Amino acid sequence: MRLEVDIGGKTFRNAAGEQHDVIAGVTFTLDAGEVGVFVGPSGCGKSTMIRILAGLDHDFQGRVSRPVGARVGIVFQEPRLLPWRSVEENVRLVAPLADDARLSALFEILELNAHRNHFPGELSLGLARRVALARAFAVEPDFLILDEPLASLDDALAARLRDQIAMLVDDRSVMTLLVTHDVDDAVRLGDRLFLLSPRPARVLAELPIPTPRSARGEAGIAAIKSDVMRRINGDITERDAS
Amino acid sequence: MPRLLSFAIFLASWWIASLLAGDAKLPSPPTVLTALIAEAGSGALFFNLGATLARVALAFTLAMTLGAAIGYLMGRVRLADRLGDPWLILLLNMPALVVIVLAYIWAGLTEVAAIAAIAINKLPNAVVTLREGARALDASLDEMATAFALPRWSTFRHVVLPQLAPYIAAAARSGLSLVWKIVLVAELLGRPNGVGFEIGAAFQLFDIPLLLAYSLSFAAVVLVIETLLVQPVETRLSRWRPRAA
Repeated sequence: MRLEVDIGGKTFRNAAGEQHDVIAGVTFTLDAGEVGVFVGPSGCGKSTMIRILAGLDHDFQGRVSRPVGARVGIVFQEPRLLPWRSVEENVRLVAPLADDARLSALFEILELNAHRNHFPGELSLGLARRVALARAFAVEPDFLILDEPLASLDDALAARLRDQIAMLVDDRSVMTLLVTHDVDDAVRLGDRLFLLSPRPARVLAELPIPTPRSARGEAGIAAIKSDVMRRINGDITERDAS
Repeated sequence: MPRLLSFAIFLASWWIASLLAGDAKLPSPPTVLTALIAEAGSGALFFNLGATLARVALAFTLAMTLGAAIGYLMGRVRLADRLGDPWLILLLNMPALVVIVLAYIWAGLTEVAAIAAIAINKLPNAVVTLREGARALDASLDEMATAFALPRWSTFRHVVLPQLAPYIAAAARSGLSLVWKIVLVAELLGRPNGVGFEIGAAFQLFDIPLLLAYSLSFAAVVLVIETLLVQPVETRLSRWRPRAA
Protein backbone atom coordinates (compact mmCIF):
# COMPACT_ATOMS: atom_id res chain seq x y z
CA MET A 1 0.00 0.00 0.00
CA ARG A 2 1.66 3.18 -1.17
CA LEU A 3 0.63 6.63 -2.25
CA GLU A 4 2.60 8.28 -5.03
CA VAL A 5 1.94 11.92 -5.67
CA ASP A 6 3.40 14.11 -8.35
CA ILE A 7 1.32 17.24 -8.77
CA GLY A 8 3.02 19.46 -11.33
CA GLY A 9 0.67 22.37 -10.94
CA LYS A 10 -2.87 23.43 -10.23
CA THR A 11 -4.42 26.67 -11.38
CA PHE A 12 -7.71 27.99 -10.23
CA ARG A 13 -9.95 30.46 -12.00
CA ASN A 14 -11.87 32.80 -9.73
CA ALA A 15 -15.28 34.35 -10.33
CA ALA A 16 -13.69 37.37 -12.02
CA GLY A 17 -11.98 35.06 -14.53
CA GLU A 18 -8.46 35.63 -13.23
CA GLN A 19 -6.09 32.68 -13.04
CA HIS A 20 -4.26 31.84 -9.85
CA ASP A 21 -1.54 29.26 -9.35
CA VAL A 22 -2.41 27.38 -6.22
CA ILE A 23 0.11 24.56 -6.35
CA ALA A 24 3.48 24.89 -8.05
CA GLY A 25 4.85 21.41 -7.47
CA VAL A 26 4.28 18.81 -4.79
CA THR A 27 5.98 15.45 -5.11
CA PHE A 28 6.12 12.81 -2.41
CA THR A 29 5.36 9.21 -1.56
CA LEU A 30 3.74 7.82 1.54
CA ASP A 31 3.84 4.23 2.77
CA ALA A 32 1.40 2.29 4.91
CA GLY A 33 1.83 2.99 8.60
CA GLU A 34 3.39 6.38 7.95
CA VAL A 35 2.04 9.72 9.05
CA GLY A 36 3.00 12.44 6.60
CA VAL A 37 2.40 15.95 7.82
CA PHE A 38 2.14 19.00 5.63
CA VAL A 39 2.93 22.22 7.38
CA GLY A 40 2.39 25.51 5.67
CA PRO A 41 1.01 28.99 6.12
CA SER A 42 -2.73 29.61 5.86
CA GLY A 43 -4.01 29.84 2.32
CA CYS A 44 -0.98 28.13 0.77
CA GLY A 45 -3.05 25.58 -1.12
CA LYS A 46 -3.15 22.76 1.43
CA SER A 47 -6.86 22.20 1.19
CA THR A 48 -6.69 22.20 -2.60
CA MET A 49 -4.03 19.52 -2.39
CA ILE A 50 -6.24 17.49 -0.07
CA ARG A 51 -9.14 17.69 -2.49
CA ILE A 52 -6.89 16.36 -5.25
CA LEU A 53 -5.58 13.52 -3.07
CA ALA A 54 -9.09 12.58 -1.95
CA GLY A 55 -10.11 12.25 -5.59
CA LEU A 56 -12.50 15.20 -5.48
CA ASP A 57 -10.62 17.31 -8.00
CA HIS A 58 -9.27 15.81 -11.21
CA ASP A 59 -8.39 19.05 -12.93
CA PHE A 60 -4.64 19.38 -12.29
CA GLN A 61 -1.33 18.72 -14.00
CA GLY A 62 0.56 15.67 -12.86
CA ARG A 63 -0.33 12.31 -11.48
CA VAL A 64 -1.64 10.85 -8.25
CA SER A 65 -1.63 7.10 -7.88
CA ARG A 66 -3.73 5.97 -5.01
CA PRO A 67 -3.62 2.29 -4.07
CA VAL A 68 -6.42 0.47 -5.84
CA GLY A 69 -9.39 -0.28 -3.63
CA ALA A 70 -8.01 1.67 -0.68
CA ARG A 71 -10.70 2.78 1.74
CA VAL A 72 -10.50 6.49 2.38
CA GLY A 73 -11.38 8.13 5.66
CA ILE A 74 -11.36 11.88 5.65
CA VAL A 75 -11.77 14.67 8.16
CA PHE A 76 -12.46 17.96 6.45
CA GLN A 77 -11.59 21.31 7.93
CA GLU A 78 -15.25 21.81 8.83
CA PRO A 79 -16.94 18.72 10.29
CA ARG A 80 -19.33 18.28 7.32
CA LEU A 81 -21.81 16.12 9.21
CA LEU A 82 -25.33 15.53 7.97
CA PRO A 83 -27.43 17.80 10.20
CA TRP A 84 -30.54 15.64 9.71
CA ARG A 85 -28.92 12.43 10.98
CA SER A 86 -27.95 11.68 14.56
CA VAL A 87 -24.31 11.32 15.56
CA GLU A 88 -24.50 7.54 15.42
CA GLU A 89 -26.34 7.55 12.08
CA ASN A 90 -23.72 9.89 10.64
CA VAL A 91 -21.00 7.42 11.54
CA ARG A 92 -22.91 4.30 10.52
CA LEU A 93 -23.84 5.74 7.17
CA VAL A 94 -20.26 5.69 5.87
CA ALA A 95 -19.45 2.43 7.66
CA PRO A 96 -22.53 0.23 7.32
CA LEU A 97 -20.51 -2.92 8.02
CA ALA A 98 -18.87 -1.73 11.24
CA ASP A 99 -19.83 -3.98 14.15
CA ASP A 100 -21.32 -2.62 17.34
CA ALA A 101 -18.42 -3.51 19.61
CA ARG A 102 -15.86 -1.68 17.51
CA LEU A 103 -18.10 1.33 17.13
CA SER A 104 -18.67 1.43 20.88
CA ALA A 105 -14.93 1.31 21.48
CA LEU A 106 -14.45 4.18 19.04
CA PHE A 107 -17.16 6.28 20.68
CA GLU A 108 -15.58 5.47 24.04
CA ILE A 109 -12.12 6.66 22.95
CA LEU A 110 -13.50 9.89 21.50
CA GLU A 111 -15.82 10.37 24.50
CA LEU A 112 -18.93 10.49 22.36
CA ASN A 113 -21.05 7.88 24.10
CA ALA A 114 -23.35 10.44 25.69
CA HIS A 115 -24.00 12.11 22.35
CA ARG A 116 -24.87 9.16 20.14
CA ASN A 117 -28.47 10.23 19.64
CA HIS A 118 -27.85 13.95 19.37
CA PHE A 119 -28.15 15.82 16.13
CA PRO A 120 -25.07 17.72 14.91
CA GLY A 121 -26.89 21.03 15.42
CA GLU A 122 -26.91 20.30 19.15
CA LEU A 123 -23.14 19.79 19.37
CA SER A 124 -20.32 22.20 20.06
CA LEU A 125 -17.65 22.54 17.39
CA GLY A 126 -15.24 20.43 19.43
CA LEU A 127 -17.77 17.62 19.69
CA ALA A 128 -18.65 17.87 16.00
CA ARG A 129 -14.94 17.56 15.14
CA ARG A 130 -14.76 14.42 17.26
CA VAL A 131 -17.74 12.97 15.42
CA ALA A 132 -15.98 13.72 12.14
CA LEU A 133 -12.93 11.87 13.49
CA ALA A 134 -15.09 8.93 14.58
CA ARG A 135 -16.62 8.80 11.12
CA ALA A 136 -13.20 8.75 9.44
CA PHE A 137 -11.93 5.99 11.72
CA ALA A 138 -15.12 3.94 11.55
CA VAL A 139 -14.54 3.02 7.92
CA GLU A 140 -11.24 1.38 8.98
CA PRO A 141 -9.41 3.43 6.39
CA ASP A 142 -6.31 2.38 4.51
CA PHE A 143 -5.76 6.02 3.68
CA LEU A 144 -6.63 8.60 6.30
CA ILE A 145 -6.76 12.28 5.41
CA LEU A 146 -6.92 14.88 8.16
CA ASP A 147 -7.34 18.51 7.15
CA GLU A 148 -6.63 20.72 10.18
CA PRO A 149 -8.67 18.44 12.45
CA LEU A 150 -7.67 20.41 15.57
CA ALA A 151 -8.03 23.96 14.30
CA SER A 152 -9.92 26.42 16.53
CA LEU A 153 -10.10 24.12 19.53
CA ASP A 154 -8.72 25.13 22.91
CA ASP A 155 -5.28 23.79 23.80
CA ALA A 156 -6.34 21.21 26.38
CA LEU A 157 -8.97 19.67 24.12
CA ALA A 158 -6.66 19.79 21.11
CA ALA A 159 -3.96 17.96 23.09
CA ARG A 160 -6.42 15.27 24.18
CA LEU A 161 -7.73 14.79 20.66
CA ARG A 162 -4.18 14.66 19.32
CA ASP A 163 -3.37 11.81 21.70
CA GLN A 164 -6.53 10.05 20.60
CA ILE A 165 -5.57 10.42 16.95
CA ALA A 166 -2.08 9.07 17.69
CA MET A 167 -3.62 6.12 19.49
CA LEU A 168 -6.00 5.31 16.64
CA VAL A 169 -3.30 5.70 13.99
CA ASP A 170 -0.84 3.44 15.83
CA ASP A 171 -3.57 0.90 16.42
CA ARG A 172 -3.86 0.09 12.73
CA SER A 173 -1.25 0.46 10.08
CA VAL A 174 -2.82 3.36 8.21
CA MET A 175 -1.37 5.62 5.58
CA THR A 176 -2.09 9.00 7.14
CA LEU A 177 -1.86 12.46 5.71
CA LEU A 178 -2.24 15.35 8.11
CA VAL A 179 -2.40 18.96 7.06
CA THR A 180 -1.88 21.62 9.68
CA HIS A 181 -0.39 25.02 10.30
CA ASP A 182 0.40 24.09 13.88
CA VAL A 183 4.05 23.02 14.20
CA ASP A 184 3.44 21.46 17.60
CA ASP A 185 0.74 19.09 16.23
CA ALA A 186 2.98 18.31 13.27
CA VAL A 187 6.00 17.35 15.36
CA ARG A 188 4.00 15.29 17.85
CA LEU A 189 2.04 13.32 15.27
CA GLY A 190 4.22 13.06 12.17
CA ASP A 191 6.73 10.50 10.94
CA ARG A 192 7.77 12.77 8.11
CA LEU A 193 7.21 16.49 7.84
CA PHE A 194 6.81 18.33 4.57
CA LEU A 195 7.24 22.08 4.79
CA LEU A 196 5.22 23.96 2.21
CA SER A 197 5.92 27.39 0.76
CA PRO A 198 3.31 30.15 0.66
CA ARG A 199 1.01 30.03 -2.34
CA PRO A 200 1.61 28.62 -4.92
CA ALA A 201 2.60 25.66 -2.77
CA ARG A 202 5.76 23.66 -3.31
CA VAL A 203 7.64 21.40 -0.92
CA LEU A 204 10.47 23.40 0.68
CA ALA A 205 11.92 20.60 2.78
CA GLU A 206 11.23 17.07 3.89
CA LEU A 207 12.11 16.20 7.48
CA PRO A 208 11.92 12.63 8.69
CA ILE A 209 11.46 12.09 12.43
CA PRO A 210 13.02 8.70 13.17
CA THR A 211 11.95 8.46 16.84
CA PRO A 212 8.60 6.66 17.23
CA ARG A 213 5.73 8.88 18.37
CA SER A 214 5.37 7.32 21.81
CA ALA A 215 9.10 7.61 22.56
CA ARG A 216 9.40 11.31 21.78
CA GLY A 217 10.36 13.29 24.86
CA GLU A 218 9.50 16.92 25.41
CA ALA A 219 13.16 17.89 24.81
CA GLY A 220 13.31 16.06 21.48
CA ILE A 221 10.02 17.60 20.39
CA ALA A 222 11.25 21.07 21.31
CA ALA A 223 14.44 20.52 19.33
CA ILE A 224 12.61 19.43 16.20
CA LYS A 225 10.13 22.27 16.60
CA SER A 226 12.84 24.90 16.75
CA ASP A 227 14.49 23.32 13.70
CA VAL A 228 11.17 23.52 11.81
CA MET A 229 10.52 27.08 12.96
CA ARG A 230 13.99 28.11 11.89
CA ARG A 231 13.45 26.67 8.43
CA ILE A 232 10.04 28.25 8.01
CA ASN A 233 11.07 31.67 9.29
CA GLY A 234 14.39 31.47 7.48
CA ASP A 235 12.54 30.99 4.26
CA ILE A 236 10.36 34.01 4.96
CA THR A 237 13.38 36.21 5.70
CA GLU A 238 15.03 35.05 2.47
CA ARG A 239 11.91 35.96 0.56
CA ASP A 240 11.72 39.34 2.21
CA ALA A 241 15.36 39.99 1.41
CA SER A 242 14.96 39.20 -2.25
CA MET B 1 -58.15 25.68 21.59
CA PRO B 2 -57.25 28.68 19.38
CA ARG B 3 -58.48 26.64 16.42
CA LEU B 4 -61.89 26.12 18.04
CA LEU B 5 -62.12 29.80 18.83
CA SER B 6 -61.23 30.65 15.26
CA PHE B 7 -64.01 28.31 14.07
CA ALA B 8 -66.53 29.89 16.48
CA ILE B 9 -65.68 33.37 15.21
CA PHE B 10 -66.18 32.20 11.63
CA LEU B 11 -69.58 30.72 12.47
CA ALA B 12 -70.69 33.80 14.36
CA SER B 13 -69.72 36.25 11.62
CA TRP B 14 -71.45 34.06 9.03
CA TRP B 15 -74.63 34.03 11.07
CA ILE B 16 -74.59 37.79 11.63
CA ALA B 17 -73.89 38.44 7.94
CA SER B 18 -76.78 36.18 6.94
CA LEU B 19 -79.13 38.09 9.28
CA LEU B 20 -78.02 41.36 7.69
CA ALA B 21 -78.09 40.18 4.05
CA GLY B 22 -81.22 38.06 4.25
CA ASP B 23 -81.65 34.31 3.87
CA ALA B 24 -82.06 34.51 0.08
CA LYS B 25 -78.56 35.86 -0.50
CA LEU B 26 -76.68 34.23 2.33
CA PRO B 27 -78.49 31.33 3.99
CA SER B 28 -77.91 30.97 7.73
CA PRO B 29 -75.87 28.04 9.14
CA PRO B 30 -78.96 25.91 10.03
CA THR B 31 -80.37 26.20 6.47
CA VAL B 32 -77.04 25.06 4.99
CA LEU B 33 -76.79 22.29 7.57
CA THR B 34 -80.23 21.00 6.51
CA ALA B 35 -79.14 20.93 2.87
CA LEU B 36 -75.92 19.21 3.90
CA ILE B 37 -77.76 16.52 5.86
CA ALA B 38 -80.17 15.90 2.98
CA GLU B 39 -77.23 15.53 0.54
CA ALA B 40 -75.38 13.26 2.95
CA GLY B 41 -78.51 11.18 3.53
CA SER B 42 -78.90 10.43 -0.15
CA GLY B 43 -75.21 9.50 -0.36
CA ALA B 44 -74.62 12.04 -3.11
CA LEU B 45 -72.32 14.15 -0.92
CA PHE B 46 -69.91 11.30 -0.22
CA PHE B 47 -69.99 10.06 -3.79
CA ASN B 48 -69.13 13.50 -5.18
CA LEU B 49 -66.53 14.26 -2.54
CA GLY B 50 -64.96 10.86 -3.21
CA ALA B 51 -64.85 11.46 -6.96
CA THR B 52 -63.17 14.83 -6.46
CA LEU B 53 -60.71 13.45 -3.90
CA ALA B 54 -59.72 10.62 -6.24
CA ARG B 55 -59.02 13.11 -9.02
CA VAL B 56 -57.00 15.30 -6.68
CA ALA B 57 -54.97 12.34 -5.43
CA LEU B 58 -54.19 11.07 -8.93
CA ALA B 59 -53.37 14.44 -10.47
CA PHE B 60 -51.35 15.54 -7.44
CA THR B 61 -49.25 12.36 -7.34
CA LEU B 62 -48.64 12.47 -11.06
CA ALA B 63 -47.63 16.14 -11.07
CA MET B 64 -45.44 15.88 -7.95
CA THR B 65 -43.52 12.82 -9.15
CA LEU B 66 -42.96 14.12 -12.64
CA GLY B 67 -42.37 17.69 -11.50
CA ALA B 68 -39.86 16.69 -8.82
CA ALA B 69 -37.90 14.54 -11.27
CA ILE B 70 -37.81 17.25 -13.95
CA GLY B 71 -37.01 19.97 -11.42
CA TYR B 72 -34.16 17.96 -9.90
CA LEU B 73 -32.72 17.30 -13.36
CA MET B 74 -32.97 20.96 -14.34
CA GLY B 75 -31.29 22.04 -11.13
CA ARG B 76 -28.40 19.61 -11.56
CA VAL B 77 -27.81 19.57 -15.33
CA ARG B 78 -27.19 22.88 -17.06
CA LEU B 79 -28.23 21.66 -20.49
CA ALA B 80 -31.54 20.35 -19.17
CA ASP B 81 -32.16 23.72 -17.56
CA ARG B 82 -31.44 25.60 -20.77
CA LEU B 83 -33.67 23.27 -22.80
CA GLY B 84 -36.51 23.13 -20.33
CA ASP B 85 -36.66 26.74 -19.25
CA PRO B 86 -38.77 28.18 -22.14
CA TRP B 87 -41.27 25.35 -21.74
CA LEU B 88 -41.42 25.97 -18.06
CA ILE B 89 -42.12 29.68 -18.47
CA LEU B 90 -44.82 28.91 -21.03
CA LEU B 91 -46.51 26.38 -18.75
CA LEU B 92 -46.19 28.58 -15.68
CA ASN B 93 -48.05 31.41 -17.36
CA MET B 94 -50.64 29.40 -19.26
CA PRO B 95 -54.12 30.03 -17.80
CA ALA B 96 -55.61 26.92 -16.18
CA LEU B 97 -58.74 27.34 -18.26
CA VAL B 98 -56.81 27.10 -21.56
CA VAL B 99 -55.17 23.84 -20.51
CA ILE B 100 -58.46 22.32 -19.36
CA VAL B 101 -60.41 23.32 -22.48
CA LEU B 102 -57.66 22.12 -24.82
CA ALA B 103 -57.38 18.83 -22.94
CA TYR B 104 -61.13 18.23 -23.27
CA ILE B 105 -61.04 19.12 -26.98
CA TRP B 106 -58.09 16.87 -27.77
CA ALA B 107 -58.77 13.93 -25.46
CA GLY B 108 -62.56 14.16 -25.23
CA LEU B 109 -64.62 14.69 -22.08
CA THR B 110 -62.84 11.85 -20.33
CA GLU B 111 -61.38 11.17 -16.90
CA VAL B 112 -57.89 10.95 -18.42
CA ALA B 113 -58.25 14.40 -19.97
CA ALA B 114 -59.42 15.90 -16.66
CA ILE B 115 -56.61 14.40 -14.59
CA ALA B 116 -53.97 15.24 -17.18
CA ALA B 117 -55.19 18.84 -17.37
CA ILE B 118 -55.08 19.24 -13.58
CA ALA B 119 -51.63 17.65 -13.40
CA ILE B 120 -50.27 19.89 -16.18
CA ASN B 121 -51.47 22.93 -14.27
CA LYS B 122 -49.60 21.92 -11.14
CA LEU B 123 -46.48 20.52 -12.85
CA PRO B 124 -44.51 23.75 -13.50
CA ASN B 125 -45.02 24.82 -9.91
CA ALA B 126 -43.33 21.64 -8.65
CA VAL B 127 -40.58 21.93 -11.26
CA VAL B 128 -39.66 25.49 -10.26
CA THR B 129 -39.56 24.73 -6.54
CA LEU B 130 -37.53 21.54 -6.90
CA ARG B 131 -35.13 23.22 -9.32
CA GLU B 132 -34.39 25.81 -6.67
CA GLY B 133 -33.89 22.98 -4.17
CA ALA B 134 -31.48 21.13 -6.43
CA ARG B 135 -29.52 24.34 -7.05
CA ALA B 136 -29.20 24.94 -3.32
CA LEU B 137 -27.71 21.49 -2.59
CA ASP B 138 -24.62 21.71 -0.40
CA ALA B 139 -21.55 20.88 -2.51
CA SER B 140 -19.44 20.21 0.58
CA LEU B 141 -21.71 17.37 1.67
CA ASP B 142 -21.57 16.00 -1.87
CA GLU B 143 -17.78 15.96 -1.60
CA MET B 144 -18.01 14.19 1.72
CA ALA B 145 -20.17 11.48 0.15
CA THR B 146 -17.77 11.14 -2.79
CA ALA B 147 -14.67 10.98 -0.58
CA PHE B 148 -16.21 8.24 1.56
CA ALA B 149 -17.35 6.46 -1.62
CA LEU B 150 -20.98 6.26 -0.50
CA PRO B 151 -23.13 4.26 -2.91
CA ARG B 152 -25.32 6.37 -5.19
CA TRP B 153 -28.59 5.32 -3.63
CA SER B 154 -27.29 5.95 -0.14
CA THR B 155 -26.09 9.42 -1.14
CA PHE B 156 -29.45 10.22 -2.64
CA ARG B 157 -31.42 8.98 0.33
CA HIS B 158 -29.32 10.37 3.16
CA VAL B 159 -27.53 13.38 1.67
CA VAL B 160 -29.66 14.73 -1.19
CA LEU B 161 -33.24 13.89 -0.21
CA PRO B 162 -33.16 15.50 3.25
CA GLN B 163 -31.90 18.72 1.65
CA LEU B 164 -34.74 18.61 -0.86
CA ALA B 165 -37.36 17.79 1.78
CA PRO B 166 -38.30 21.41 2.60
CA TYR B 167 -38.64 22.15 -1.11
CA ILE B 168 -40.75 19.05 -1.66
CA ALA B 169 -42.92 20.07 1.28
CA ALA B 170 -43.29 23.60 -0.10
CA ALA B 171 -44.16 22.26 -3.57
CA ALA B 172 -46.67 19.85 -2.06
CA ARG B 173 -48.26 22.52 0.09
CA SER B 174 -48.68 25.12 -2.65
CA GLY B 175 -49.40 22.44 -5.25
CA LEU B 176 -52.18 20.89 -3.20
CA SER B 177 -53.94 24.23 -2.83
CA LEU B 178 -53.59 24.80 -6.58
CA VAL B 179 -55.02 21.36 -7.36
CA TRP B 180 -57.99 21.91 -5.02
CA LYS B 181 -58.86 25.03 -7.00
CA ILE B 182 -58.36 23.64 -10.48
CA VAL B 183 -60.08 20.32 -9.96
CA LEU B 184 -63.44 22.09 -9.48
CA VAL B 185 -63.05 24.01 -12.74
CA ALA B 186 -62.21 20.84 -14.61
CA GLU B 187 -65.25 19.10 -13.13
CA LEU B 188 -67.51 22.04 -13.87
CA LEU B 189 -66.48 22.05 -17.53
CA GLY B 190 -66.48 18.41 -18.40
CA ARG B 191 -67.30 15.82 -15.75
CA PRO B 192 -70.70 14.40 -14.79
CA ASN B 193 -69.90 14.21 -11.05
CA GLY B 194 -67.68 15.63 -8.34
CA VAL B 195 -67.92 18.73 -6.15
CA GLY B 196 -67.27 21.04 -9.10
CA PHE B 197 -70.12 19.54 -11.10
CA GLU B 198 -72.53 19.83 -8.15
CA ILE B 199 -71.56 23.44 -7.50
CA GLY B 200 -72.11 24.20 -11.21
CA ALA B 201 -75.56 22.61 -11.02
CA ALA B 202 -76.43 24.47 -7.81
CA PHE B 203 -75.31 27.73 -9.44
CA GLN B 204 -77.61 27.19 -12.43
CA LEU B 205 -80.55 26.50 -10.11
CA PHE B 206 -79.54 29.33 -7.76
CA ASP B 207 -79.63 26.78 -4.96
CA ILE B 208 -77.39 28.71 -2.58
CA PRO B 209 -77.73 26.38 0.45
CA LEU B 210 -76.62 23.41 -1.70
CA LEU B 211 -73.76 25.47 -3.14
CA LEU B 212 -72.56 26.39 0.32
CA ALA B 213 -73.07 22.84 1.63
CA TYR B 214 -70.69 21.49 -1.02
CA SER B 215 -68.18 24.33 -0.68
CA LEU B 216 -67.99 23.97 3.07
CA SER B 217 -67.73 20.19 3.17
CA PHE B 218 -65.00 20.48 0.57
CA ALA B 219 -63.21 23.05 2.72
CA ALA B 220 -63.60 20.74 5.71
CA VAL B 221 -61.95 17.89 3.82
CA VAL B 222 -59.03 20.17 2.88
CA LEU B 223 -58.62 21.23 6.50
CA VAL B 224 -58.65 17.65 7.75
CA ILE B 225 -56.06 16.56 5.21
CA GLU B 226 -53.89 19.54 6.09
CA THR B 227 -54.07 18.83 9.84
CA LEU B 228 -53.78 15.06 9.76
CA LEU B 229 -51.38 14.59 6.86
CA VAL B 230 -49.44 17.63 5.70
CA GLN B 231 -48.54 19.20 9.04
CA PRO B 232 -47.43 16.01 10.85
CA VAL B 233 -45.20 15.12 7.88
CA GLU B 234 -43.64 18.58 7.96
CA THR B 235 -43.01 18.34 11.69
CA ARG B 236 -41.35 14.97 11.29
CA LEU B 237 -39.14 16.15 8.44
CA SER B 238 -37.85 19.12 10.40
CA ARG B 239 -37.35 17.39 13.74
CA TRP B 240 -33.55 17.70 13.45
CA ARG B 241 -33.67 21.49 13.32
CA PRO B 242 -32.89 23.14 16.62
CA ARG B 243 -36.19 24.57 17.86
CA ALA B 244 -36.59 28.28 18.16
CA ALA B 245 -37.04 29.31 21.76
